[in-house]
Amino acid sequence: MKTFLFSLSSLVLAMSLCAQGPEVAVDSGGVGTPREAIIKSSSLLKVNVTYQSFSPHIPWQKESPGSRRGLGVVLKGNEILVTAQMVADSTYIELEQPESGQKLTAKVKAVDYEANVAVLVAENAERAKGFFAEVKPMEIDTGARIGDGLSVWQIGPAGDLIVTPLRVSKVETADYFVDGSVFLVYEGNGIIRTEGNSFTLPVVKGGKLAGLLLRYDSKNQVTTVLPAPIIDHFLKDTADGTYEGFPNLGVEFQLTLDGQFRDYLKMKEGDTGMYVSQVMKGMTGEKLGLKEGDIITSVNGFDIDSRGNYRDPQYGTLSVSHVVRGRAFVGDALKVTVMREGKEVVLEGKLARKNPAEMIVSPYRFDRGPNYLLAGGLLFQELSKAYLEGFGRDRQTGPILRLARLAKSPEEFEKKGCKKIIFLSAVLPTPSAQGYERMGGQIVEEVNGVAITDLTTLDEALKKPVNGVHTIRLGEFPHLIHIDALAMERDNMAIITGGYRVGSLKRIE
Amino acid sequence: MKFASVSAAVLMAVSLPWAGMAQPIDLSSSVWDGVVNIDASMQVPDYREPWNGGRPTGGSGTGFLIGKNRFLTNAHVVSNATKLVIRSSNDPEPHPARIVFIAHDCDLAILEAVDGKHFEHLKPMQLGGIPKLNTEVIAVGYPIGGDRISVTRGVVSRIDFRQYSHSGVDSHLSIQVDAAINPGNSGGPVIQDGKVVGVAFQGYSGNVAQNVGYMIPVPVIQRFLKDVEDGKYDHYVDLAISDFPIENPAQRKALGLGEDGIGVMVGSAEPAGSGGKVLKTGDVIVAMDGSPVFNNGLIKLDDELVNMNEVVERKFAGDSIEIEFLRDGKKMKETVKLARFEPYVRLGNLYDERPRYLVYAGLVFQPLERNLMDAHSIQDPLVNYLFDNFLGDKLYVEKPEPVILTQVLPDEVNTFLTPYAHGVVEEINGVKITRLADVKAALAKKNGDEPFVVVKLMEVNRPLVLRRDLAEEAHPRIMKTYNIPQDAFLGE
Repeated sequence: MKTFLFSLSSLVLAMSLCAQGPEVAVDSGGVGTPREAIIKSSSLLKVNVTYQSFSPHIPWQKESPGSRRGLGVVLKGNEILVTAQMVADSTYIELEQPESGQKLTAKVKAVDYEANVAVLVAENAERAKGFFAEVKPMEIDTGARIGDGLSVWQIGPAGDLIVTPLRVSKVETADYFVDGSVFLVYEGNGIIRTEGNSFTLPVVKGGKLAGLLLRYDSKNQVTTVLPAPIIDHFLKDTADGTYEGFPNLGVEFQLTLDGQFRDYLKMKEGDTGMYVSQVMKGMTGEKLGLKEGDIITSVNGFDIDSRGNYRDPQYGTLSVSHVVRGRAFVGDALKVTVMREGKEVVLEGKLARKNPAEMIVSPYRFDRGPNYLLAGGLLFQELSKAYLEGFGRDRQTGPILRLARLAKSPEEFEKKGCKKIIFLSAVLPTPSAQGYERMGGQIVEEVNGVAITDLTTLDEALKKPVNGVHTIRLGEFPHLIHIDALAMERDNMAIITGGYRVGSLKRIE
Repeated sequence: MKFASVSAAVLMAVSLPWAGMAQPIDLSSSVWDGVVNIDASMQVPDYREPWNGGRPTGGSGTGFLIGKNRFLTNAHVVSNATKLVIRSSNDPEPHPARIVFIAHDCDLAILEAVDGKHFEHLKPMQLGGIPKLNTEVIAVGYPIGGDRISVTRGVVSRIDFRQYSHSGVDSHLSIQVDAAINPGNSGGPVIQDGKVVGVAFQGYSGNVAQNVGYMIPVPVIQRFLKDVEDGKYDHYVDLAISDFPIENPAQRKALGLGEDGIGVMVGSAEPAGSGGKVLKTGDVIVAMDGSPVFNNGLIKLDDELVNMNEVVERKFAGDSIEIEFLRDGKKMKETVKLARFEPYVRLGNLYDERPRYLVYAGLVFQPLERNLMDAHSIQDPLVNYLFDNFLGDKLYVEKPEPVILTQVLPDEVNTFLTPYAHGVVEEINGVKITRLADVKAALAKKNGDEPFVVVKLMEVNRPLVLRRDLAEEAHPRIMKTYNIPQDAFLGE
């Protein structure tokens, strides 16, 4: 009885899918063959990734390898779409045919960790030919709206397709994978079952790709989808071979709902807009001429309400960040109207992007190890979010709090011309560093009379000891240390070959 | 210099008296008579709802007679007391008592009975000296486990400079003994050869370390007694510098030191401290008051190597110290007048103080202190940064008393401001806020006829704005709703 019911419901699903997409193979055996996989997709591949991240605190070492298993969507040109999170710090990527189990080694062709999208291609084009023979690429549909029915696809152990319906209940902007990266998402409610290869799952509308599963909150049964418009943007950007990434505005906003705050800003009844509370250096907002205290009333023709939203023709009320980031490209025109000291001012310019590498405190870093320099046991590193996050929330005391605060507002270092903030993160006990073993957390200001603005200047400065002694000035207690230059060289050799077995004394990339 | 790092040392929270007798215990001797039990009723201030009276509690400890109607005990036995009663061993009658002097930085206090006549027949106990290692001592007092007087016995295990956990920030000479010291022993005498060689005051709980108890030694007691001779307690003085031991040969060479092991580097000097007026980072202290200071920061005093702070420890407010030091290889000698280092105090536990605060239209302002941090369990990273790096980053120079917006008591006038609780106040109506007292005047300040009160918080890029007319109308309402009897207490 139970079996019967199950097969019946499967059939209904299969039929509706059949009507939507020709690439879905349907087993029309009906009630009589209930135990066979009923539907299959020839556009999905299992993707198995082995990854190994670098240790933020012992930067020459990698952590233990781990694995992620998800589904990739085959696009035209036999490129496979997955989330960036899937391939972060990958050491080995393989594609697997769901049914035959045939495998093919793949590599990352393009990746954007902010938008959380990546495209894979075969490592060896010759071998790929046979592998992709039966595979059909999937098209992308960017047209989903609130209320639309989508389905999440999973693949069972025998290559059978498991389809879970999902209705879009909300479209908004939300956090992606990298801290502070906010883009468009679809949200829906529904239960997604646990299966192998569920790290990344395709979300489909009418047989076309509507998005990738971004996260699933099993407690509240909320499914968040990385939507097709963001994927499409990424693919368009990669098409010409150079990837520019999404523009960033570099402006902090505040709501203007508080009636007394509105009075203070001299906003009249019915006036809307958002208050500019901070303009970051060297980013679009600053180049455009935005100033703290401005009230932004419209962006590229869209009126902005007091929550910082506009009315999107496709999705309705949505954060303005979608206008300047999610749906915009670097170089696009930007026109912003602001109220400044009671007058309307129109600002025009182009959308730009500041890359993580140009930022004084690196917001994220994958696939490459943290930069560092070891000198006679003294370990110097660049201040980065990854380093601070490595401590976890509970252990943030004293020096870590200080470093975290510098990372949050590094303007003082930018003013001094620092490209990175260099600090002494730890000391490997060596004879030349005798007495300094317990140090750590101090900002490096000057070495042998040279101001330190990044690891390269530090590396150079350490080549010029004065009278055989290195003089290192630090921002915090004990402020001043000296190391014998010859002894340091001796210890450097010992660090490579001796007990510490550090492969290399530095990584400066 | 006495900036101690946070250590695991725990105060025997319940006072533990330790009364001990010298080797030949003469039970007929009157040596016990001067050891009294102290019963304290206390009111623990409420830093969360600072307008409230606090939480009543109580405790018990030991004290002993050191002069005519003068009982010595620990400060932590009688801190925050609302009522004190002393009982002697063979007398069931409780005698009301009061505090004459209290020194939280060295955990000592002197009490007197309201009516001293009852104790006139008792012989005060005499102070001895610093006992030698591995010599026997006894601790006498009223610890848990019974009501009558208790004696435990042990030897002197170690003499060292240690953190005193009552304030949590002060370190002084202290003597470790292996006689059992338990809750209730606090304030009691530790005795050798019939004389008091220390006051039992702290130890470890049994799951941390065994048989480790500490007593306040005679030099610290005598310093306290001398300090109060003029009728008031002036506190310890401090050089307010941090020394960095010189162990590295290159460091020694670069700083121009010889091979004789003399000299310790100044790692930081507090600009507002007494040492900071003369010394700066990178200077090398070679001698204090004529005694050589070694590379590890120890100094030779009375033929013993002790922490160099010990020289300062023995001084009083207004005393001077002569420091010989090297700067850029040049020998220098300066006299430093010693004073208390105020910024340090708020990092420690405060007692016998009514919490200060100011409420305005539901916004509660309080000064940053350890008591406040503990009470509000503030997670905000900026506030924690300020507290943890208050000295290290010299934050006290600009903000001697950072003011925190600890709560926003919700009302329609401030409902949009509730997310900003735990912010650090930077400015009010254009006036920089450096201490709580500034808040009152700044709130009252009017910029022409501007109808707003504007509060700027550190690292919050929008001002918090209240319409003055609405705020003033709401203020009495909020006070009434939240049962706040008084809208500010800014100190005595």
